[in-house]
Amino acid sequence: MNLSELKTPAELEDLYHPVMAEIKEVKRLSAMETYYRVELPGGEDLGHMPGQFVELSIFGVGEAPFSISSSPTLKGSFELGVRRAGMLTDVLLRQQPGTKIGIRGPFGNGIDVEKFKGKDVLIIAGGIGLVPMRSMINYVIDNRDQFGKLIICYGSKSDQDLLFTDELAQWEKDPAIDYHVTVDQGSDSWQGNTGVITTLIPGLDLDLANTVCCICGPPVMYRFALLSLKSKGFADENIYMSLERRMKCGVGKCGHCQINHSYVCQDGPVYHYPDIKSMQEAL
Amino acid sequence: MADKPRVAIFDFTGCEGCELNQLNFEDQLLDILAHVDIVEWREAMDGQVDEYDIAFVEGSLSTPDCINRINEIRRKTKVLVALGACAVQGGVNGMKNTRPIDEVRQEVYGDDKYLFPTLPALALSSVVKVDYNVRGCPMTQIEFLKVFTSLVMGKEPIEPDHSVCVDCKLKENECVYEKGMICLGPVTRAGCDAHCPSFGQYCTGCRGLVSHPNLKGMEEILVEHGLSVDEAWKRLELYNANELEGVRP
Amino acid sequence: MVQFYLEGDRISEFVAHLMKQKPVYAPHRKGQKSFSFEKTENAEDVVLDYVRTMHSIKKYFLPPREELLHFDLTKNESDPVEIPMSEAVFLGVHSYDLAAVGRLDYNFTVGSPEKNYLTRRQNAIFIGVSFEPDKFHFSGSVGIRPEDSTGCDIFLTKLFDGYVLEILTDKGQELMEGLNLPAHDAGKPATGHFHQHIFVPQAKLSEVMEHSYDNPVWEETAGKCVGCGTCNLVCPTCYCFNVEENVDITATKGSRERHWDGCMLREFSEVAGGEVFRETLAARQRHRIFRKFKYISDQTGQPWCVGCGRCTTYCTAGISIVSIVNRLIGDYERAAVAPV
Ligand SMILES: Cc1cc2nc3c(=O)[nH]c(=O)nc-3n(C[C@H](O)[C@H](O)[C@H](O)COP(=O)(O)OP(=O)(O)OC[C@H]3O[C@@H](n4cnc5c(N)ncnc54)[C@H](O)[C@@H]3O)c2cc1C
Ligand code: SF4
Ligand code: SF4
Ligand code: FES
Repeated sequence: MNLSELKTPAELEDLYHPVMAEIKEVKRLSAMETYYRVELPGGEDLGHMPGQFVELSIFGVGEAPFSISSSPTLKGSFELGVRRAGMLTDVLLRQQPGTKIGIRGPFGNGIDVEKFKGKDVLIIAGGIGLVPMRSMINYVIDNRDQFGKLIICYGSKSDQDLLFTDELAQWEKDPAIDYHVTVDQGSDSWQGNTGVITTLIPGLDLDLANTVCCICGPPVMYRFALLSLKSKGFADENIYMSLERRMKCGVGKCGHCQINHSYVCQDGPVYHYPDIKSMQEAL
Repeated sequence: MADKPRVAIFDFTGCEGCELNQLNFEDQLLDILAHVDIVEWREAMDGQVDEYDIAFVEGSLSTPDCINRINEIRRKTKVLVALGACAVQGGVNGMKNTRPIDEVRQEVYGDDKYLFPTLPALALSSVVKVDYNVRGCPMTQIEFLKVFTSLVMGKEPIEPDHSVCVDCKLKENECVYEKGMICLGPVTRAGCDAHCPSFGQYCTGCRGLVSHPNLKGMEEILVEHGLSVDEAWKRLELYNANELEGVRP
Repeated sequence: MVQFYLEGDRISEFVAHLMKQKPVYAPHRKGQKSFSFEKTENAEDVVLDYVRTMHSIKKYFLPPREELLHFDLTKNESDPVEIPMSEAVFLGVHSYDLAAVGRLDYNFTVGSPEKNYLTRRQNAIFIGVSFEPDKFHFSGSVGIRPEDSTGCDIFLTKLFDGYVLEILTDKGQELMEGLNLPAHDAGKPATGHFHQHIFVPQAKLSEVMEHSYDNPVWEETAGKCVGCGTCNLVCPTCYCFNVEENVDITATKGSRERHWDGCMLREFSEVAGGEVFRETLAARQRHRIFRKFKYISDQTGQPWCVGCGRCTTYCTAGISIVSIVNRLIGDYERAAVAPV
C-alpha cells in the first residue's frame, strides 16, 4: 500500500462524526418496539438501499447500528424500528419529536435488488427481522412492475408483539401479496396460525425456478428456515440473508462485527447464501 | 433535570473506608450535590424518610438485623447501588465464610457468642436485588463518578467485564509479574484503571472476578509463579470467598 | 548509498542533533526490566540496544485512548477533535515494528480510509535499528530480518562499538545535514540467529489453517488461557477498538472515546440480549490465530503476524503463538502422509 497515492488526510471525511438529524415522529409499535421517522438536515435523502443500516447516537449515551426500515422510495425522511435492549435504546425510548440525534451512514451492503428484479420475491422475517425486511417489501410494492409475485412469511412471539400492524392488515388484503403470519403463542383473541415461522414454509405455493428469497430474524431462525426451504427444493443460489453481529464503527475498522474473514458492516449485513455456506461461524 | 433524584446513603458491616465522606471528592463534591437531594445519610443527618430514588449501600450483611434493614431499604428505593467490595461480593468479610460460622463466633466473641447471632458475611445481592455495583476496596472513585453521572442522566451504567490487565496494558505499565510479584489482574474485573499495578503493586482482586473466569488456568499461573495450590486459592478467595464457595477443588 | 560510522560515544550527539529538528520518539528504560517508546527529553536516556518495547510505535498512530469527538450536552452539539499530525522522528525502530505499521496502513486505508490514523501517520520519519533476536523473536519466519531496512529513512546496524548508519531517503539526508560522521567502508556485520521458527511459509500456512478449524489445540490452549486480552493489547498489528462515551460530572459535556479492544475478551462479541458469538476461549484463540495467519492473509498474501514475540513474552499463562502454529503444521503434515 502506497500512502502517497491516497488523498491527503485533510481531504478525507471524518468517518466518526455524525450529522444531526431530527426525530419527526415517534410511535409505539409494541411493548418492546418503537417506530421513529427521522429527517436529515434540509430534508436530504439518506440515499440507502433496502437492507442497509445507520449508526444512531445520542451524545453522552452511545451509538449503535439500526436497520433502515423505510423503502428508498420514501423521500425526505427515513424510518427505524427499535427494540428496547440496553443503554442506548432505553434512552432513545424517552425521546420526543423534535429531538436531534446523530446519524452516520447508510452503511453495509444492502439487498442487491437487481438480482430480485423480474422474479417472485419471498421474504421470511422473524420478530424484529421485519424491520429491515419492511424496506424491501415496500420497495417491491412501490415498484410493482419490476418484480413478480410478493410472498411474505412473518413470525412473531405473540400477536401482541406483531409490528407495523396497520401495514400487515394492508398486505393481507392486497390480492397481489401472498401474506402469511404465525405466532409462537397466540392470545385468546388470536385467530391466525400458531407455531414457529418454519411451519409456514411447506404450504407455500412457489415457482422454484423463478423465486428469490431474503431471510432476516433471530440467530436461531436461520438454520431452520434454510432446512425448510431446502426440503421444498429451493436452490441455495436464490437465498439471501441478513446477519447481525456486535458493531461499533460501521466502516470496517473496529473489528467487532467479524465472522471468519468477513466484516458484516462491509460485506453484509445482507449476504448471498452460497458465499457464507462454508463460513463456519456465520450461521 | 426538573426534579432532582432523592438519594439515601446507608452502611452495614465494613471498614467504613468506602464511606462517601471519607473519599477525596473535594473537587467533585459540589457538582455531586448539585445533582441530587440527599434525604437520608446516617453519618450526616438524623431522621428517616419513606421513599427515595437511589439508595447507595456500603458494607456486607452479617446479622439478622442487617437483613431486615436491607429489605426495608429495597422496599423504599427505586434503584439500589452497592458500594464497595463488602456490599458487592461480601468483601474481605467473606473470608470468614470459608470456615464454620460457629468456630468464627467462638473465636471472636468467646463464650458470649450466643449474644451475637452473626451470620456469614453476605453480599447485598444474596438477599435483595442490586441494580448496580461500584466495586473495589475501597470502592473505586472513578467508577462511582461514572455510575453516579449515568444515574443522574437517566441511563444505565455499564459494568466492565474485561480483566484488569486490559487497563494495565492501555497504560503500558510494566507487568508486576516482571518484578517477581503475583497479580490477580488477569481474572479480576476492570474499572479501576489498573490502580494498584500503576503504582507498582500487585492486584489483590478487590473488584471481584470477571464473569466467566478460567479459575483452573489462573491457579496454574499462580502455581507456576511459586504459590502452592492452597495459597493460590487463598489469594483468590480473599475477595471472592462467597462466589468461590464450593468451586475450589 | 553512503554508509557512515556512528561511534558508540557519539550516539547522544546524534540524538541531540535530531532533537534540534523535530520531536524524537525512541526506546527508553521502563521499570525494572522493560523498555517503552517515549518522547525524548534527554538524549542520554535513549536506549538503542533494547530487546523489545511492550507497545510498538503503533501507539502514536492509533493511540490506546483517543477522543473521536467532543460534545456539549446543553446544546446537543459536537465538535470534531483536532488530530495532530506527527511531524516526528521515530528512532530505534525494529524491522518487525515497521512492518507492522505497513500492515496497519493497509487496514486503515482499505475500504474507507480513516482520517484519524492517516493524519497521525502522514509525516512520520523512521530511523530503524538492527536487533539481536531473544528467545521470543521469530520475525525471520515471516520474512522480516533484523537487518531489514524497508520503510526506513535512516538505518542503523549494530557494530561492536557503535552503528553503521545508512541514509536511505531524501528525508533522511535532510535530517543528517550538519552532523559530520566518518564514512564506513567495511561491510556490515551479520546479525544474530533466531531461536524460534515457524517451519513453513505463509502460502503453506493458509493451507494448514484451512485444515485446522477443528484441531484439538484450541481446546488445549483454552485450558491454560485466562482470557485476559494481553496478547491482543501488546500486538503491533491488532487494531480493533471499542467506543465509549465519557461524560464529566457536571453532566453537561464529554467526549466519545475509542480505546484498544481485543478479540480474546468475552464481551468483544457480546450483543444486547446476552448472545456471545465467540463464547468459548477455544473459539477466541482460533479467531486470534486465524486473524494473524489466515483471514487477512488469504486476501493479501502476507501474514498479519510480524514475529515480534510480544504476545508470548507477556502472556502470564505462557502460551506461545509459535508452538500453536507449529503444532498445527505438524498435525496437518502427519494427516497428509497418513494412509486414508
Ligand atoms: C446491522 C444491524 C442492524 C440492526 N438493526 C436493528 C433494528 O432495526 N432494530 C433494533 O431494535 N435493533 C437492531 N439491531 C440491534 C441493535 O444494534 C442493538 O439492539 C443495540 O446495539 C443495543 O444497543 P444498546 O446500547 O441499547 O444496548 P447495550 O446492551 O447497552 O449495548 C451496548 C453497545 O453494544 C453494541 N451492541 C449491543 N448489541 C448489539 C447488537 N445486537 N448488534 C450490534 N451491536 C450491538 C452496540 O455498540 C451498543 O451500543 C441491529 C444490529 C445490527 C448489527
Ligand atoms: S501487572 Fe497484573 S494487571 Fe497488569 S498486566 Fe501484569 S498481571 Fe495484568
Ligand atoms: S495473554 Fe495469554 S492468557 Fe491472556 S488472553 Fe492471551 S493467550 Fe490468554
Ligand atoms: S462494525 Fe467496526 S468493523 Fe464492522
